Amino acid sequence: MSDLKRIMKVAARIRKERLSGIRLKIMLPILLLFLPGMAWGFSDPNIVLPGGHQPDTAMEVLFYASLGVVFGATMCAVLMAFDGVSKDRASGMLEVRLAQPMPRKHQATALILGHAQSILVPVYALLFASVLVVQYRTGQWPTMIELLVYALSTGLVVFWYTLFALLASTSAREQGTAIAFGIGVWFFFTFLWALVTTMVAYASGVAVGEANDPAWVALEGMLDLLSPNGVYHHLLETQLPTVDRGVHAWQSWLAALLWTVLPWWALHRRMERLVP
Amino acid sequence: MGLAMAEPVLSFQSVQHRHAIPAPRLFKPWAKRAGPGIVGLSLDLYEGSVLGLIGPNGAGKTTLLRMMAGVLPVQEGSIEGRFDGQGWQPVDDLRQWVGHMPEQVRWQGRTTVYEALSQLGEMRGTSETKIQRLLALVGLRSRKDEALDNLSQGMRQRLSIAAALLGSPKVLLLDEPFNGLDPVAAEAFAALVRTLASKGVSVVISSHMVAQLEGLIDRIGLLHRGQLLDEGPLEDVERRLGLEGRYTITGQGEVDALSFAPADDVLEHHQDDDGWSLTVKQDPQSVLSAAMKAEANLTSWAPVRPNLVEWLCAATGMSVDDISLEVASSAMLPMRSVEVSEDE
Repeated sequence: MSDLKRIMKVAARIRKERLSGIRLKIMLPILLLFLPGMAWGFSDPNIVLPGGHQPDTAMEVLFYASLGVVFGATMCAVLMAFDGVSKDRASGMLEVRLAQPMPRKHQATALILGHAQSILVPVYALLFASVLVVQYRTGQWPTMIELLVYALSTGLVVFWYTLFALLASTSAREQGTAIAFGIGVWFFFTFLWALVTTMVAYASGVAVGEANDPAWVALEGMLDLLSPNGVYHHLLETQLPTVDRGVHAWQSWLAALLWTVLPWWALHRRMERLVP
Repeated sequence: MGLAMAEPVLSFQSVQHRHAIPAPRLFKPWAKRAGPGIVGLSLDLYEGSVLGLIGPNGAGKTTLLRMMAGVLPVQEGSIEGRFDGQGWQPVDDLRQWVGHMPEQVRWQGRTTVYEALSQLGEMRGTSETKIQRLLALVGLRSRKDEALDNLSQGMRQRLSIAAALLGSPKVLLLDEPFNGLDPVAAEAFAALVRTLASKGVSVVISSHMVAQLEGLIDRIGLLHRGQLLDEGPLEDVERRLGLEGRYTITGQGEVDALSFAPADDVLEHHQDDDGWSLTVKQDPQSVLSAAMKAEANLTSWAPVRPNLVEWLCAATGMSVDDISLEVASSAMLPMRSVEVSEDE
């Protein structure tokens, strides 16, 4: 059996376990509410957003509905993967797995892919449902490129949070620490990042929260590259010609690459040194 | 396989693994230093032999087994193996050759026994036929569709040993395998170990309960504070440490049993309403003669093995009080060195 095939088999086992677990059944209503639910809400023809704005393209509706991904899907990714390693460590299974002649890097890759797939399967299914909802409500389809970017960037942000949760799981000796770390990272980037942006703006002498101030918009745009949620929105904004926050598309994709590679590398390194 | 024919299959030379323990400094709070572990250990494992690795809690038994299983890295020293009829060769990945059964794996969940083993088999590329054979070998074939949550402790241990045997290992490491087993399950487990040894597998069993290994092991290794104090065939180590020829003689009635043997030779003496017992470290013949001369009512005499504390006292040259049974500190005490002849 080739290494790749072995990795995919182990990943498939993790995916199957997680998809049939009770945890996903608990999270499904949340995902339903946050993904197609938000798409339904933002595609209302009579909706008026703050500032009197009305979304007028399918991609714009999907962009606003991506709030559901940021709040719901990423949290579910953390909840799905927070005990990916710590549970096995607590039960002694980690030692059994590490004693198998499968390189630890391969085991780490299988772990990442298995957990990412287990959350991406329902997320992609519901994203597809969201697109159908938007079409039903607005009568518009997103273009193929828009759809690809939307799916890819959503996949990436969910993948990043899966990586964070697994990384936390390798460091935690018990479940409580693992979930606290995973949820803590999610909370920081989802809720507290605005505070960080504000503080940096204040320290830089930029007028805080002035949506029409180019300096504020540029600063917020650059700082968002340091947040996975920010990068996610930058990627989506590449398909919104009316939005310009001073960040080039290549910068967004480069940041996405770094957010993918660095935690991936860190997790592989952790797995190499992991003591059961 | 008889001991005389046994050949070494795996050799560890001056291997070391010391745990990294936190040693925070003001400007480097993440700093670590080398703590306790295994230091300069050399050990040969023989085909078809069962080595009992004994030592108190914190002696380093689990660390040594994890190192031998390839789970912990060997920081210093070398490992050579002689598998598949080839000559001695450096071993890069021990996990190819060694099966490891960790202490107390909590198999849990709705996964079935067969699925659990198959999942591990995927990591090795083990065939389904092999998995079925293993389940039969460990006596779990009739339970293969049972959920892990429904298994008894004995069955979980059997599943653990099946997992360790997935790769048809030349060396099998069992970490405290008797923990939590009732006597019936323990005997069944011991029988399984004997079967594997008879097929040429080199088995290493760690335990802090020497009595559990009685009749199962043919070699013994004494581990204390990360160092192997002595290792070899059971009788040889006993002889080297002056622990051979111990007998317990029992009888009924109230007699002055202490008068049957010189005071220096008496290791233990009990007297109660049911009778008496005397453990001596000499040939029982003279004791039996003295007892018969005193018209004592003898009921039995049998050889006895030393217990863990006696082994360690003899190997370290320290008293019971001096031997700390706490977790070893990073300071490695110099131990009494015991010569091991090359032909062992």
